[in-house]
Amino acid sequence: MDLFIAAFGFGLVSMSVIAIAAVGFTMQFGITNMINLAYAEIMISSAYAAYAFNRSGINIWVSMIAGALFGAVFSFLLNRLLYAPFQRKGTSLIGMVIVSLAAGLVIANVLLPIVGYFNVSYKQDPGPTIRLGAIDLTTVQVLIIALAVSLMLLIHLLLTFTRLGKAMRATAANPTLARNCGIPTRQVIDIVWLITGALCGIAGVVAAMNSESFAASSGAGYLITIIAAAVLGGAGQPYGAMIGAVLIGEITELSAAVISPQYKGVIAFAILVLVMVLRPQGLLARQGALAAAG
Amino acid sequence: MAALVLAACGNQASTPSASGTSPLLIGVVAPFTGVDAGLGPAYYAACLAAANELNTNGNIMGHPVSCQQFDTRGEPADAVPAARQMVASNSNLMAVVGCTSDEASSVVPIIDASHIPMFCMTGQSEFNKTTYKYFHRLVPPDQYDAFAMVGSALYFNHYSKIALVFGNDIGSQAFVPPAQTAIPKLGGTVTINQAIALNQSDYRTEVTQMLATHPDVIFTEALGPADATYLAEVKQLNGGKLIPFIGTSATVDPQWFAAVSGAIGVDNLVNNYQAVDIGTTFSGPGYDEFVANLNAAASKFPDAPKYKQRASTLHLYDGLLQAALAMNATKSIDPQVYNAKIKEIGNGVSGATEVHTYKEGVDAINSGKSVRLVGAGGPTNYNQWNNSQQGYILVKYDAQGNEVTIGSLTQEQTAKIIAAGGGG
Repeated sequence: MDLFIAAFGFGLVSMSVIAIAAVGFTMQFGITNMINLAYAEIMISSAYAAYAFNRSGINIWVSMIAGALFGAVFSFLLNRLLYAPFQRKGTSLIGMVIVSLAAGLVIANVLLPIVGYFNVSYKQDPGPTIRLGAIDLTTVQVLIIALAVSLMLLIHLLLTFTRLGKAMRATAANPTLARNCGIPTRQVIDIVWLITGALCGIAGVVAAMNSESFAASSGAGYLITIIAAAVLGGAGQPYGAMIGAVLIGEITELSAAVISPQYKGVIAFAILVLVMVLRPQGLLARQGALAAAG
Repeated sequence: MAALVLAACGNQASTPSASGTSPLLIGVVAPFTGVDAGLGPAYYAACLAAANELNTNGNIMGHPVSCQQFDTRGEPADAVPAARQMVASNSNLMAVVGCTSDEASSVVPIIDASHIPMFCMTGQSEFNKTTYKYFHRLVPPDQYDAFAMVGSALYFNHYSKIALVFGNDIGSQAFVPPAQTAIPKLGGTVTINQAIALNQSDYRTEVTQMLATHPDVIFTEALGPADATYLAEVKQLNGGKLIPFIGTSATVDPQWFAAVSGAIGVDNLVNNYQAVDIGTTFSGPGYDEFVANLNAAASKFPDAPKYKQRASTLHLYDGLLQAALAMNATKSIDPQVYNAKIKEIGNGVSGATEVHTYKEGVDAINSGKSVRLVGAGGPTNYNQWNNSQQGYILVKYDAQGNEVTIGSLTQEQTAKIIAAGGGG
């Protein structure tokens, strides 16, 4: 029994990391209609940006700001210089997916010679272990959970109570109508890329902190989990991505406790497939992207 | 005209003349990306060091040598086109190095069919009695690595409860069955056998399961960041204390050292880690020459000098020098002519002159002698299937990441473990 409780606790950490990443990913799709398969490579690039600061003696939590800024600027530029021109030419959604896949490969292969083959670790003090029954978490892990909850709350407040959030939802629902109503959709989309890019950067740093060790090749492993959480919750739905992250994070850890850890990925994705068969629109999707935010 | 066109369309360019100065190529067929991306650079370093040795000592009968990477990504699906592209587009291949357990089964037949001598770093048992004529292996089968780990735990350290934590890739899983067979037969216990996915961001549930079995020691090979993450979580979830762990020879590697020491701290790694490695002294004239060449290779590959104590790098370097000397001995750059001579250069024949460097070998050959290369990794002993084995040493790291020998297994101990594990 203790193992299941411990696994549940570890699942809280996993779902926190996944949630930060998946919400950014799904907002990009929901608002800008872009399935950005380069997302995981930007995550790992941001993790390395934070690493550069961390290795020069700067605290990892401060370095995380550098990672977030890097992710924001990188994502913004990627959209402005690559994705937006293709979208303006009317490239289909599947065409854009291929463009983003190519962008991800380019980023991965440019990153490798820059950062090298070696795995690296942040200089971080995990802090004292906090014990809650059978759950053992380090202070850093508790802070990661707190950070994820805070970011999810901020996203909720942004989408629900701010003019920018309403402009985002309007742009997501019908960009032409939003533009005709005076909403500067291009600026809104720029801001979305900056915000989701920052989430991507933060996700990369917390994923690397949680893993203790990471490498240029780590990005590929993140992407599948992020997509699974986003699709499970309902593509384009931030709240759906949060729920998807909870389910994927917990199912992954609990299945490892029940059966061989070798199959924990298989179980998580089998459930994803099952949900897709029974409810193809995902758990939370209503009509239109970001509808659940309203 | 038609005959001319048909001739030009032949699938392989004709073999260059031995007397020319046309360049020769060594293909490094290995993972350079993906989870096993740490393997390729070690072999590339071997190739660059060998090329430097050959090119600064008169080339191979005037032919300069260069190295090219062919990335298999550690996946057979990517390895096959990489190998096909290599042989189809390079008629001047003199040898291939690499071919790890990740891709050996799929690329060895392609390379063999193209008549290119290869020096592979696979420990798969299917090559123990291989019929591929161009295949050479300077490392023991993986099962012997596993046997040596068992010997290290039971006889050297006197541990009895052993947890097996290996990556779920083909190469790492090869160690599991022989260890599972040998441990109980020799009085030990396998407390848990975990096949961990290499690309996971954490292993806390797996670590909790493993700790609940209370092992004395962990056997492991999970490359990429996996071992670093797993062991850091062992430390975290075991009250800040690590459990001793014994790695395969693949963990004696600067990348593995950097990853794991970064995650658990150098002191923890130095104090808790041991590994088995292929018997190598890291000394002698052949080794000194190798180190000089490896340092020179830094101009092309800055990380090259970091591999000066990686046994596989030494052995592949030796293999390439054997091939080069075989070419000199046969006065041919046709692989179908010099391939058979490689074994003779490695094992030596009666009355052969022992040489340690390429220059010594060429000088001896030119003066009419037969030679045996005792290179950077020591003597080679090819059997009838071109497999060479040299026994095992037990090693650890010092704080700088250098390999330190702490013991060895006697022949009797090794034989006993092999018999218990069902090894041939």
